[in-house]
Amino acid sequence: MKNVRVWFKKIGTARYISHLDLNRCMLRAVHKAKIPLWYTQGYNPHAFITFALPLSLGIGGERESMDIKLNDDEITREELIAKLNAALPDDIPVFDATEPVMKPGQIAYASYLMNLETKEQNPEETAAAIRELFSRETVMVPKHTKNGMIDLDLKPYLNLTEVVPKEDGVEISTVLPAGSNMNVNPALLCDAIKKYLQMDLYSDIQRIDLYNADFKIFE
Amino acid sequence: MVNKKIEKLLANVQKPGRYVGGELNCVMKHADEVDVRFAFCFPDIYEVGMSHLGLKILYSQLNTVPYVWCERVFAPWVDMEEEMRKNGVPLYALESGDSVCDFDIIGFTLQYELSYTNILNMLDLAGVPLKASDRHSLSQLVVAGGPCACNPEPLADFFDLFFIGEGEEVDLEVVALYREYKKQNRSKEEFLIAASRIEGVYVPSLYDVSYNEDHTVKSIVPKAGAPMPVQKRIMMDVDKSYFPDKFVVPYIEIVHDRTVAEVLRGCIRGCRFCQAGFLYRPFREKSVDVIDRQCHDLCDNTGYDEISLSSLSTSDHSKLNELIDQLHTWTEKENTGISLPSLRVDNFSPELMSKIKSVRRSGLTFAPEAGTQRLRDVINKNVTEEELMKTVNTAFKGGWTTIKLYFMIGLPTETLDDVAGIAELGQKVVDAFYENPDKPKGKSVKVTVSASSFVPKPFTPFQWEPQDTMEMLRKKQRHLVGSVKTRKVEPNWHEADTSLLEAVFARGDRRLCDVLLEAFQSGCKMDGWQNFFSFSKWMEIFKKCGIDPAFYANRRRSFDEVLPWDHLDYGIQKSFLIEECKKAYSNATTPNCREQCSSCGAACFKGGICYEKRQSMV
Repeated sequence: MKNVRVWFKKIGTARYISHLDLNRCMLRAVHKAKIPLWYTQGYNPHAFITFALPLSLGIGGERESMDIKLNDDEITREELIAKLNAALPDDIPVFDATEPVMKPGQIAYASYLMNLETKEQNPEETAAAIRELFSRETVMVPKHTKNGMIDLDLKPYLNLTEVVPKEDGVEISTVLPAGSNMNVNPALLCDAIKKYLQMDLYSDIQRIDLYNADFKIFE
Repeated sequence: MVNKKIEKLLANVQKPGRYVGGELNCVMKHADEVDVRFAFCFPDIYEVGMSHLGLKILYSQLNTVPYVWCERVFAPWVDMEEEMRKNGVPLYALESGDSVCDFDIIGFTLQYELSYTNILNMLDLAGVPLKASDRHSLSQLVVAGGPCACNPEPLADFFDLFFIGEGEEVDLEVVALYREYKKQNRSKEEFLIAASRIEGVYVPSLYDVSYNEDHTVKSIVPKAGAPMPVQKRIMMDVDKSYFPDKFVVPYIEIVHDRTVAEVLRGCIRGCRFCQAGFLYRPFREKSVDVIDRQCHDLCDNTGYDEISLSSLSTSDHSKLNELIDQLHTWTEKENTGISLPSLRVDNFSPELMSKIKSVRRSGLTFAPEAGTQRLRDVINKNVTEEELMKTVNTAFKGGWTTIKLYFMIGLPTETLDDVAGIAELGQKVVDAFYENPDKPKGKSVKVTVSASSFVPKPFTPFQWEPQDTMEMLRKKQRHLVGSVKTRKVEPNWHEADTSLLEAVFARGDRRLCDVLLEAFQSGCKMDGWQNFFSFSKWMEIFKKCGIDPAFYANRRRSFDEVLPWDHLDYGIQKSFLIEECKKAYSNATTPNCREQCSSCGAACFKGGICYEKRQSMV
């Protein structure tokens, strides 16, 4: 039995599928590709597949990972990648397969790139307004939690956030807490912009990378 | 593939995966490299439409033609529709994201009468004029096929042509003709006249319907040389007819999320209420090797780990055990399960049970259809109580404790005693459980008796029958509930009001086109979804249009009345249907096609079971 971390992107149409659907999609792909998967040995054998940190619906992922257990050491990295790509939709390309180094539980931060469409508004002015907002004492937004809605202050999490005007919009790059302990959804930044600046901007969000508590890239 | 404009809507809707395309095996082509763009429209949501085998077959087949690009279109759920209308996004096809109004042919599949308003809503959302007479160019040709096309008259004003029967050949022939006429810049009228010469094509505008004073049909007269009657198309060699080797595999979970193999077409049984049993005659089996290869190709190309052996009555395949054995030679290694969607009460054997391990443990479903032997004879169900008891005992031995029994209420000649018989039959199944020494230990039994309301359909022996009034259906529902004596039997029924509407449109005529238009304009849609269906709204619409729904639903027709679908020919002789109807009234059964030929007329297709040697003759 061998643990393998498969790296893939979740782009284009695949951004709109939920974690549950991604899970089923991957199971089918593994079955179709005839990957020698290790099955649990219980009464109801099933494949062992886990995802590091599921993405929210609508957010793209540039470096997503899935852990699988193989029964067979024979299959090479290249073979595995090629077989999976032949079995997956175009918008879920696999680009690497490695031996897992960190545990998914160690993930503490995620970096995102957000493209905000400004429409007729001036990107420079919009960017300036957002920067001003993010430099305020507090930036309170309502957040869904297990115990209902709470008011979350984003301010402590905005240290690594840059706002840059582009030709047709504003680009925000940010690093936010991510993982099972504390997670800040980047869409909350858009919520803040909407709430404070009354700007309802369409945003295209991608998750670029995951990090551990020491800001080491998740491997 | 969706554009930015569509993407912006997705943040505000449930299950955006319905609206983006890009699934495994979806067919991408270049619009400027094809001559004919075909929008295959399913008038219900993605999860329902993507489960439909006919769509999978015709989508794949049309796309095998290099000059055609067939794309899929589904009805958006109300939240998405609202976003689309608010933001001026017209209905689009999933593959290209292009607007449906730019397509050459817009094809709908007619599966269910209550989806008719969705058709109008989808055309409207696409920006396509609803009435065929308001569409003047050859493009935006609106066509339809499927089981409800056997009486397309309530939709006659909206469609340019209908496909009658099975689509595999006739679709391609019409598309080829379209391409030729498009290249020659010919008019829509010229095209329709030429298309009407293709067997299996019905062009409603080429037939004049006149009515008697009592609103019954007086005559149906063809013009411009259109055929009378229109013959259905049928694939006589099911082994050689096209079947896809891959399906589009949805990202999101759909209703039937598995490989579907079609093992046979038609049905030998001749249950008198069942439209499909007559429309798809004669019974034609695929051979074991062909089914096996098709299953294997599909599993290889989709990654599904479950195969459903689909048909009207899969256990009637003469070599079912052989087929399952052959499938097992590879399915077990590949961790693939086999399931049978329809089981008959009279041939659920321990042998079959042991072979189909993947039959879901949650419950078994059988359809005795009627509660008493007399009524089962009336409908020619040919299932006895003894067989049902044998079957449920087999199931109890196999560890099942939940049994679902399907029935209909409102069947011709039905009395309240027959209705009470449904509850009694449920009780007998419960008793059988407790008397069975091999029953699962320490478990209780649950028997659900589910009663739907009978809807008389065209091309069945009951096509002349009145449907029970809603009052009567409700009374029978209450009687069923009152007849249940223990909590181990759980009665279950469907609202009668949707069945009434189904009955109206199933046997309707062209006068209903105005009703449909009015219903669409009043906001009726998704009528098949209980929370959207408004009976009172529909009744207002009928009133406004001056049409009495009882005329269509609750009226007994005489055998010599001209029926709105009399100009369509499915190979079944009207005289046979009349004989069957009379036999029903004398509680007489008709043997199935394998036992004896009853000369229904389907032998005119020169194949299938009509030309097989019967066991008794050998």
